[in-house]
Amino acid sequence: MAFNSKNDSNKSGYTKKDVKIIGFGNKYRSDDGIGIRIVEELEKLDYFKNIEIIDGGTSGTDLIFLIKGCSKIIIIDAIDAGQNVGDVVNIQISDVEEFIKRDYKSLSLHDLNLADILKLIKALKINADISIIGVKPKKIDFGDRLSPEIEEKIPEIISLVKKEAGV
Amino acid sequence: MANNLNVEVAPLSRVEGHGDLIINVKNKKIEKLIFRIPESPRFFEAMLIGRKYDEPSHIASRICGICSVAHTCASIKATEKAMGIKPSHQTINLRKLIYHHENVQSNVLHVYFLAAPDFFGVGSVIPLVKTHPEIVNIALRTKKMANDMVRFIGGRAVHPIRIVIGGFTKLPTEEEMIKMKEMLEACYPDLEKSLEVLKTLDIPDFERETEYISISDTSDYALYDGNIKSTDGWEIDDQNYLDKINEKVVQYSTAKHCWASRDAFMVGALARFNNNYEKLTDNAKKYADELGLKTPCHNPFMNNIAQFVEIIHSVDDSIRLIDEILEEGLDESKAMAEIKPGAGRGVGVVEAPRGLLIHDYTYNNQGRVEKANMIIPTGMNSANIEKDMHALIPTIIDKSEDEIKLACEMLIRAYDPCISCSAHLLNVKLVNK
Repeated sequence: MAFNSKNDSNKSGYTKKDVKIIGFGNKYRSDDGIGIRIVEELEKLDYFKNIEIIDGGTSGTDLIFLIKGCSKIIIIDAIDAGQNVGDVVNIQISDVEEFIKRDYKSLSLHDLNLADILKLIKALKINADISIIGVKPKKIDFGDRLSPEIEEKIPEIISLVKKEAGV
Repeated sequence: MANNLNVEVAPLSRVEGHGDLIINVKNKKIEKLIFRIPESPRFFEAMLIGRKYDEPSHIASRICGICSVAHTCASIKATEKAMGIKPSHQTINLRKLIYHHENVQSNVLHVYFLAAPDFFGVGSVIPLVKTHPEIVNIALRTKKMANDMVRFIGGRAVHPIRIVIGGFTKLPTEEEMIKMKEMLEACYPDLEKSLEVLKTLDIPDFERETEYISISDTSDYALYDGNIKSTDGWEIDDQNYLDKINEKVVQYSTAKHCWASRDAFMVGALARFNNNYEKLTDNAKKYADELGLKTPCHNPFMNNIAQFVEIIHSVDDSIRLIDEILEEGLDESKAMAEIKPGAGRGVGVVEAPRGLLIHDYTYNNQGRVEKANMIIPTGMNSANIEKDMHALIPTIIDKSEDEIKLACEMLIRAYDPCISCSAHLLNVKLVNK
């Protein structure tokens, strides 16, 4: 079993400060782990070697700290934005109200939900360009594997992350 | 006024994970009351079977994003006990230090972000930014401090990866230890301001005496290690938890209910406070006193206050630990203990922020897990939450449905249930018949 070690803060060696990529989720809750799986995949790729890639787990409020000091943040998460199972959405959070109005549901953040976190970020007047790349999960029961329908979306999600990160 | 009620609230917001509360009242009498945790916690136990001895702690750290240090340490302690591995005094001190700050991370989140909105009468933390901006900023600063502490010691703010069987894969530097001490000292003014605000909270006046169980130790306010102690007068070695802690499957919930001396017990900050008050720092005792928290306390809503008092204690005791570690000198040769994998059974008992957490593993000759049992704090509190509801509802039955619903939600939230590791969805519905 391989355990991710790149997220050890002293091993990162990151230099690029203006973009951060954060995956949220619990990798032992089936498709809820998509954000963490993408983080693991990105860490293998040279394209992203100068970008800070963060395994955010399920700790939502920490997004507030992660967002400070960077101009662009890319979130990868299991999201229900009303799309079909397995469909990937790329949401630009230029307007938090719009996000909240549409009632998108992040399925990973168990302390405060993503809409609350974004409201808090707005209320605190923290400015950042936020992109959310999400896939609607098939199941979020306990389990250590992605559904095949979600697994096959990994290349598409990585392409979107590359585009958003400008690499 | 509610003579007849059919209560189900869905979903119960601001609780980690999810669950259900169902209450039926007829002619002001409770006919049915169920606090239900609808998903199986047994997945992780099954997942550990067959794993090599160095794997369970990494898997355990993913059970919950809020309690990852607690699950990691319980798992490591179980394995170390099973294999006779003896971590160094330095390792124990560093584990205690990181442990304090998962407790601070979690208690800050709960007291300021999840429970405070109830007491300030606002729907969530968002309105607090306008009504009590200083509280939100204090919460964020304190949470950030605790995150940084966990990151310095564990390598990451969540799911730390340097804590392993036998010790640490990497030690913090002396400079980092000094920096951590400065960060801790800098948070006292914020804690002082929080005290003034918390003093103004109107905590519901509700009491129900129950059994309070936590770990306890002669050397400190036990979070990382100790015997299992009850306010009903017993204390046992943690390896013998089965002598007192009983589990049963209840028909309506996939999480087990627990009992010890009585039909239910409470774990968590209030249980720790009731058992270990004498071990708090003088400063933490002063805060408790100013907030009217005295032992024994039988008001579950005061669990939030006990959590705040623990933040003070953790900051005080962390400074003491850092001084001790620096005085003894960080020693790389003591970072890892010798590991000889083999057969055996070990129990790891710690205090997760929400209360007693037990991991019990049996290894075979190849150092692979043969049996695993985990008992999590929210599962332990389930039966007690139901008993509290039975006592609370008759005292508020003449209030409006919304008030009853809110009181029920607040009571459950006071326990700070982290159902994500025990279950998934919390619903509370309130419908007049």
